[in-house]
Formats: sequence, C-alpha cells, structure tokens
Amino acid sequence: MNAWTRSSRLLPMTAGGIVLILLASQLVGSATTLSVLTQAAIFGIFACGVGVLLKQNGMVSFGHAAFFGLSAYFVAVCLQDTGLSAELIIFLSLAATAVFAFILALVIVRVPGIAFAMLTLAFGQLFYQLALKSRNLTGGADGISIDWPDTLFGVPVATLLDNHVIFAISGVILVLVLAVLVCVHRSRFGSTTEAIRDNPERAAFIGISPTLPRALIFTLSAVITAIAGILASFNSGFISPDSLHWSVSGTVLMMVVVGGYWSVTGPALGAVVYVVAKDLIGDLSTHWLSLFGLMLIVIVVFTDNGLSGALRALASRHAGANPNPQARRS
Amino acid sequence: MLTVNIINGLVYGALLAIVASGLALIYGLRRVVNFAHGSLYMLGAYIGYTAAAYTNFWAALVIASVAMFLIGALLDRYGLRLLQNYDPLSIILVTFGLLLIVEDLVQTFWGKGNLSLAEPVLLSHSISFMGVTLPAYRLAVVLVGVLVAIGLTLWLQRTRMGLFVRASSTDPTTTAMQGVNTDRLSAFVVGLGTALAGFAGVVTAPFLSLSPTMGSNVLIDSFMVVVIGGLGSLPGAFLAALVLGQVQTLGAVYLPDVSALLPFILMIAILIWRPAGIAGNRT
Repeated sequence: MNAWTRSSRLLPMTAGGIVLILLASQLVGSATTLSVLTQAAIFGIFACGVGVLLKQNGMVSFGHAAFFGLSAYFVAVCLQDTGLSAELIIFLSLAATAVFAFILALVIVRVPGIAFAMLTLAFGQLFYQLALKSRNLTGGADGISIDWPDTLFGVPVATLLDNHVIFAISGVILVLVLAVLVCVHRSRFGSTTEAIRDNPERAAFIGISPTLPRALIFTLSAVITAIAGILASFNSGFISPDSLHWSVSGTVLMMVVVGGYWSVTGPALGAVVYVVAKDLIGDLSTHWLSLFGLMLIVIVVFTDNGLSGALRALASRHAGANPNPQARRS
Repeated sequence: MLTVNIINGLVYGALLAIVASGLALIYGLRRVVNFAHGSLYMLGAYIGYTAAAYTNFWAALVIASVAMFLIGALLDRYGLRLLQNYDPLSIILVTFGLLLIVEDLVQTFWGKGNLSLAEPVLLSHSISFMGVTLPAYRLAVVLVGVLVAIGLTLWLQRTRMGLFVRASSTDPTTTAMQGVNTDRLSAFVVGLGTALAGFAGVVTAPFLSLSPTMGSNVLIDSFMVVVIGGLGSLPGAFLAALVLGQVQTLGAVYLPDVSALLPFILMIAILIWRPAGIAGNRT
C-alpha cells in the first residue's frame, strides 16, 4: 500500500473514531462503566504524550506527571486569584506549558540516553516537592478544589460533567490527538526526528541539528500531557500533589510500553487496557501492583511491540502475511 | 550547632554513598540503571527488621546483607544476563516492574504501617565530640560509610578481581576473550551492589522508620548522586554523595523555604556544566 492511499485514510478513520466514541457514550448506560472509560480516555491522552516522546525522540520520561499536574494547578490558581475567563485560562495554561517545556527541553534533550530518564525523574520530583511545600498557593498535601465557573464555552458545566458528555469529550479529544500524532509521524518533520533518534551523529552530518526538533517533540508531548491534566482536573474538580508524583509518570510509561509505542495508537491502547484491567482486577485482588509488574516484565521481554505488536503479529499470522511489519527497529 | 548539622549531613552522605556505590557498580558492569535499587534497599531493611526480632542487630546486619547478595546474584543470573541484548529502555522497564513487585511483597508481608528498629546497645550512648554531644550510632554510620568507600576502592584498585571488574566495565567482550568469566563476575558484582543496598537499609532503620515508601526517596537521591558523580564512576559517586548529604541537611536548616529544590538545582547546574557528571567520561 503506498503512502498516498494510507494518508487519505486518516480523515475517514478520525471521523469513524469520533462516531464510535459518540455512539458508545450514548449506548453505555452504567455510570461506573462510563467513569472508568472516561479515566481510560484521559490516561490515553496522557499516554499519547509520553508515547510520542518515546516514538519520535527515543526518550524515556519519568517526569511527565509534572506537566499533567502543573497545568491543572495553573488553572486552579488562576481561577482562584485572577478575574480571567476560564476559557482563556485553559488556553494560557497550555501556552505556558508549551513555553516552559520548550525552554526546559533546550537544556535537557542534550543529555544522552539513560541520564535523560534520570534527569526527568529529578525534575518531576522537584515540582512534586514544590507543590507539596508551597502551601499558600497549592494547599499543600491536601490539594485544592477547582472553582470552575457555571458555564464553559457557553455550555453549563453541569451538562459537561454528565457521565455521558464528559466521556464523549475525553474520547473525542483522544481521537483528535491520535490524528495529530499520525500527521506528525507522516510529516517531513516526523521523519527528521526519527533520523535523529536512530543516529544523531549521522543526522548532524547531513545537516540536521538535533536539539531543535527534539525540543519541539518534547514540547508537543508536554502540551498533550497538559491537555490530559486539565481534563482530569475538570473531571474530578480537584488537584493534589499526588498527581505530580513520579509513580504517576512511571505508571503511564508502563501503559505506553504495555500498549506498544512503535504504533501511534499503542500507548492509548495500553492506557485503556491498564485502566480497565485495574478496575476489574482491583476488585478481585489487592496484589494488582505485583500483577502489573509481572505483566510489564512479560510484555517487555516476550513481545516486540507490546500488545499492539502482539495483535498485529497475530493478525498477520492469520492472514498468512509477513509477521509484524512494524517490529522494533533498533 | 553547625558541627551537628555538618555531621548529620555526613551521616546522610555516608548512607547515600553506600546505596549509590551499589547502583554505580551495577551500572558499570551491566549498563543497567536499576530502578528497583531503592526497593531492594527497603527489602533489606525489612529483612533486617525481622532478623533482628529473632536475633540481634549485628546478626540482622549480616543476615540481611547475605540475603540481599543472593537475591542480587539471582537477579543477575536469571534477569540481567538474559536481557543483555535488549535495549536499555526495556531493561529499565523490567527493573521498574521489579520495583512494583517488591513494593507489593513488602506491603503484603510487613504491612503498610511504619516500623522501627532499635539501635544496638553497644552504640546507644552519646559521645562528646568537638564540644557537641552526638549519638554514637550516627558517628558509627559515618565511619561505616568511610570504610565502605575505602574498602571498595582498595578492592577495585588493588585486587585481581577488582582489576577484572574494571576491565569488564570498560570492555566486557575483550575481557571475556582474555579468559575472565564475566558472567560469574557480574553475578558477583550485582550481588555485591544489592547487598550494599540491603546493608544500607538495615543501617538506616534505627534512625529513619521503615515504611513501604522509604525506597522511593533514597532511589531519587542516589540517582542524583550517580548522575552528578558520573554514571558508573565510584569516586564520583562518593564525592557527589558527600556534597548532596551536606546540601540536603544544611539546606533544611538554613534555607528551609527552598531546601527541597537545592539538590535538583545543584544537579541541573552540574549537568549543564558537565553533561556526563563530575567524573563521567562515558555515556
């Protein structure tokens, strides 16, 4: 299949995804199921943010919870202390995340490989400590509730927070984020970043400076994460330092790997599987931490590209085609 | 007052030096950043707690170290050795999975509450030192940290096995071709690194309480130590542990508002100055 027919499928796929989400939001009746699905969609967006950094830059972040939590804190504090409209504040929060992430990225994307993962871990914990200690602004360990206004984008907040509606909103945003990521992946810019990821030295030889493309991907990944953070704080009406803890970043990274980060949809798949499985297993056993640890190890060791890789291999075996065309290219 | 604070900083620095030297040894030989290191430190502390309940502190120190050595050697034999052809990210994630499992096991066996371990009677008195009174146990911890640093340095620089370890962390393939059993060597080194983590866990237990979250803080601080010091470098790690110990304690006393940020600012400044760390020359 050539690139042209593939790219022309993006629009119908996106539209199909949105229709599917809207149908599901109307057909699912149970409030608990809907709230689990909403969580899954929000973490799906978060996982897309962490996943794009891994896929395009080959960089592991243990600090993305900072963007997830800080964007929500920004909204909470601005709603409390400034007279700006909520819509503007949401926009400002995303813009501030972008600027901040870009400046940060210019410094940290120079640090190679494993040290980058450890550096993001330290950065993430820095903001966790800050949120915990700045009691006047953030309410300390107790967190703060967010005073959303009565209407947002002209719709009453009560309507937006209806189980069906909030799931539809989160799900549609997830589909749109996925569409953007597919575009990035197929663009010239996407190929540039992949060239840098695979061999920064060679990329530099052919005239590609590695820092700026890497920093832009990092910024994109932070903004996507911030969208998830704002959605999560809207859904819960509450933000606490727990959202910034590095274990949140670790959990999302786990979703990304379980889903398989070489495909664009993998991280979102991983998030959905994680959230749904946690809900199901959490009722049965208190040892879900061990189970997920074990699952993570098994998936990393025995599959090429997480669940999406395993599914693809299974599908192509049935079709008799070459197994796993998107296998790990390292 | 300053003397007390500096000595408290030395105590924390000594602990970090012991934990981080284990991390640095494992990285040096296996090129693995062990995210489970903090949870192994915690497991060592809990094993020591239970052993001390049946015997005494000193026996517990030995039992926990030996148990953690065996766990580390098994981890290398049935984990890291099988994974050596995987990319570093996959291995990091495997150790992250291990962290989740160990934390769950500890919560299952010992519960979620805080536990405490009494310090040994031999060291439960106080000592006057340079005009201040200090708990003998804390001074002993500093001494142990110094001994571990000297011992590891002598072992690496003066013994035949240390030579093999240095050779193998520079180039494992060539070292193996010269007839060194690098698999057995790395099982020993990972065992030693894990034993050091467990040992530090038991040493800490009398003055920091035991809890299922104790591993997390130490993990992050010892990551900072090895990153500041230069990944895989022992002298760098010792120096960084010393500095970080002082920054943490003096910061908490004299600059309480920003104390939580100081270690991070220090690390970021050093990484901008020298991206590979103080003593780092490889990535």
